Amino acid sequence: MLFLFIIVPLLLAGLLPLLGKLSKRFLPDLLASAAMLFLLVLSVVSAKPLIAGGGIIQQAFWFGAPLNIRLLLDGFSLFMLFTISLISFAVTLYSINYMEHYGAKANYYALLLVMIAGMNGLVLCSDLFNIYIFLEMAAIASYALVAFGRGHEELEASFKYLMLSAVASAFILLSIAIVFGVTGSVSFGAVAQGLKTLNIKYVVGFCSALFLAGFGLKAALVPFHSWLPDAHPSAPAPISAMLSAVLIKVSGVYAMTRIFLNVFGLTPALTTVLTVMGVVSIFVGALAALGQNDIKRMLAYSSISQIGYVVLGLGIGTPLGILGGLFHLFNHALFKSLLFLNAGAIEQSTGTRSLDKMGGLAKVMPLTATTSAIASLSIAGVPPLNGFWSKLLIIIALVQAKMHVLAVLAVLGSVVTLWYYLVLQHNAFFGKLNEAWKGVKEAPFWMSAATVLLALLCVVTGLVFPFIIKSWLQPAADVLGQGISVALNFVGF
Amino acid sequence: MNNMWILNMGFVALLIGIGLYCLLAMRNTVKLLIGIEIIAKGVTLALVASGYARNNLMIAQTLVITVIVVDVAVIATALALIISINRHTKSLDVRKLTKLKG
Amino acid sequence: MHLFLLIGLVAFSIMAVLSRDLLKSAISLAVASIFLSLVFFRLGAVYAGVFELSVVAGLITVLFITAIALTRNDGDVAESKRHLIVFPLFFLALAVLDILVMRKLLGQIPSIQGAESGSFSQVLWNQRTFDLVGQVGAIFAGVLAVLALFRPEPSKGDSHE
Repeated sequence: MLFLFIIVPLLLAGLLPLLGKLSKRFLPDLLASAAMLFLLVLSVVSAKPLIAGGGIIQQAFWFGAPLNIRLLLDGFSLFMLFTISLISFAVTLYSINYMEHYGAKANYYALLLVMIAGMNGLVLCSDLFNIYIFLEMAAIASYALVAFGRGHEELEASFKYLMLSAVASAFILLSIAIVFGVTGSVSFGAVAQGLKTLNIKYVVGFCSALFLAGFGLKAALVPFHSWLPDAHPSAPAPISAMLSAVLIKVSGVYAMTRIFLNVFGLTPALTTVLTVMGVVSIFVGALAALGQNDIKRMLAYSSISQIGYVVLGLGIGTPLGILGGLFHLFNHALFKSLLFLNAGAIEQSTGTRSLDKMGGLAKVMPLTATTSAIASLSIAGVPPLNGFWSKLLIIIALVQAKMHVLAVLAVLGSVVTLWYYLVLQHNAFFGKLNEAWKGVKEAPFWMSAATVLLALLCVVTGLVFPFIIKSWLQPAADVLGQGISVALNFVGF
Repeated sequence: MNNMWILNMGFVALLIGIGLYCLLAMRNTVKLLIGIEIIAKGVTLALVASGYARNNLMIAQTLVITVIVVDVAVIATALALIISINRHTKSLDVRKLTKLKG
Repeated sequence: MHLFLLIGLVAFSIMAVLSRDLLKSAISLAVASIFLSLVFFRLGAVYAGVFELSVVAGLITVLFITAIALTRNDGDVAESKRHLIVFPLFFLALAVLDILVMRKLLGQIPSIQGAESGSFSQVLWNQRTFDLVGQVGAIFAGVLAVLALFRPEPSKGDSHE
């Protein structure tokens, strides 16, 4: 049944170009949204066997005959699956209206489905090489999606993204090859066992450095972040939301964390490197966002900053730190996608992305302004919205781990975040209504529906966060906290 | 057998170095793609060398075949992008791609 | 013999990088692929060698030459000549560093007994079935990407600013 997470999007992606000839709009919209809703429900239902405890390995079936595919589902995977399904559903609803003026909707949905199939496959695999191949699958789809509008800016951004991302994938594959050469296998269990019994510090260190470079680029950590401020603004708004909210987390943070915490084992050297990279990302992203005029570019730099928080939390390695990092990952998916979708609504209505030219839009687009305000307050860490709690957990974990300097820096980063989001809200929505925007209308129905859904989730997550932590964040954090033993459990399956 | 692995890995390092030089120093976009292809060659050599050292050539070959298939898809997409960019700017010079400030 | 093949591979890669004519670059790359597939054959990886030969030396070279033919412009700048001076220095430094590091690592890597594996078709279809799903997905993504980038213009004219 877990195999459906990958097969359903892939099959639909294969059928859509054919169906697109029949019905240009209605059928692709309907099928894509139905598929996303199905995956969302499936991810909630899949939680049931997990509650019995521990991870499960499920064999995939194809019309009754067993395939030799074993999918691994544990707390961390389920958490990522739910996040991916939720954001994909909101983005698909939004695309019903937004992609009208791009045309070729069937092709767009097909690419989006392939990207989602790739991400789902990545979180369900138990093998180093499978991670690489599903990573590439999602990445190829994302190169095409960034360039979808075929304007000069988009093509240039997509090309730079492709070049850097291909080099990162090559580094990851080289590291996998070296690990294979040393331990003789690529599956998690065998590698973990092999690395434990051997004593080859230099090789493990070199492989870790290669993984850090490769996955760090996919996650847009400093100093590998330069592709993100070009790629995310140029993409169509729903794709910017998908990239910022999900893809950099799944292909970057999830893969890196899974390998470092469950296969290699978190050493003090790794903790130092990850936390330092996290804090540097927080500051570079936040300070660069301050000076931006283009709204989507500001949001892109903000993504770099918030991913810094996630990696900081996960890098500490203590249970509370991991919990904070994972919670912030989920929260950021919620509010960053909401912010990008709203920026897309503004761009579609007013035709500009420049904050200088906007002004007073709250009077003509009240729904967009409200949801955007909720998202801005959440990401800045204002209680009782969700961003506050996740940042608080990370800062407490830092203090507990005696990293006081980093804790102070994290708080400072949060203050800067609040500052530039207030600037964004003020310039775009409040203040005097610019004459040019008098006739602007509110965003169409499906776009508003998607943004309202995400905004409600931000508020609800903030209010009931103890329940959320207990029910599904804690199992995910536990899996990571157990370290190598998780991988060793699956040796020889 | 391990010394063979080290020898092959030495050549892998050379290939990757050549590919990286191509990416950093060349101006033509198609040349950049050739650089990526050279890096991919290096990595496939690393995979086969590792398989040879571990006497597990079958798994190594399946991995290499998969990598080559994925590589074809990436290069096809990249060439499509280059041809589309060429329609806009009528040039293959990567220095013309400076509209975004990074 | 093995060493000769590896040196040939590196030599033709260097030619592919330094060559100023794009077509000569693509052809050098194809020859380098042929050397690499010969290396694979010598190491005993026959299937990988065949694949490398037919796909990389064949299909990818054809793709490159098609793209080069489609983007023939007048007034294209050729690469500067200083690469002919800078690159040998760079390569020499890299080779020296490489030899030093590899000498140090000689004999330091311990060996583990590798896992037993079956015949090639059994490994491909039975053990690595998930990879095949991934390959299918990657091919879908590539095909859809090319379709998306080369789709006909919508009748309303330029769609995006």
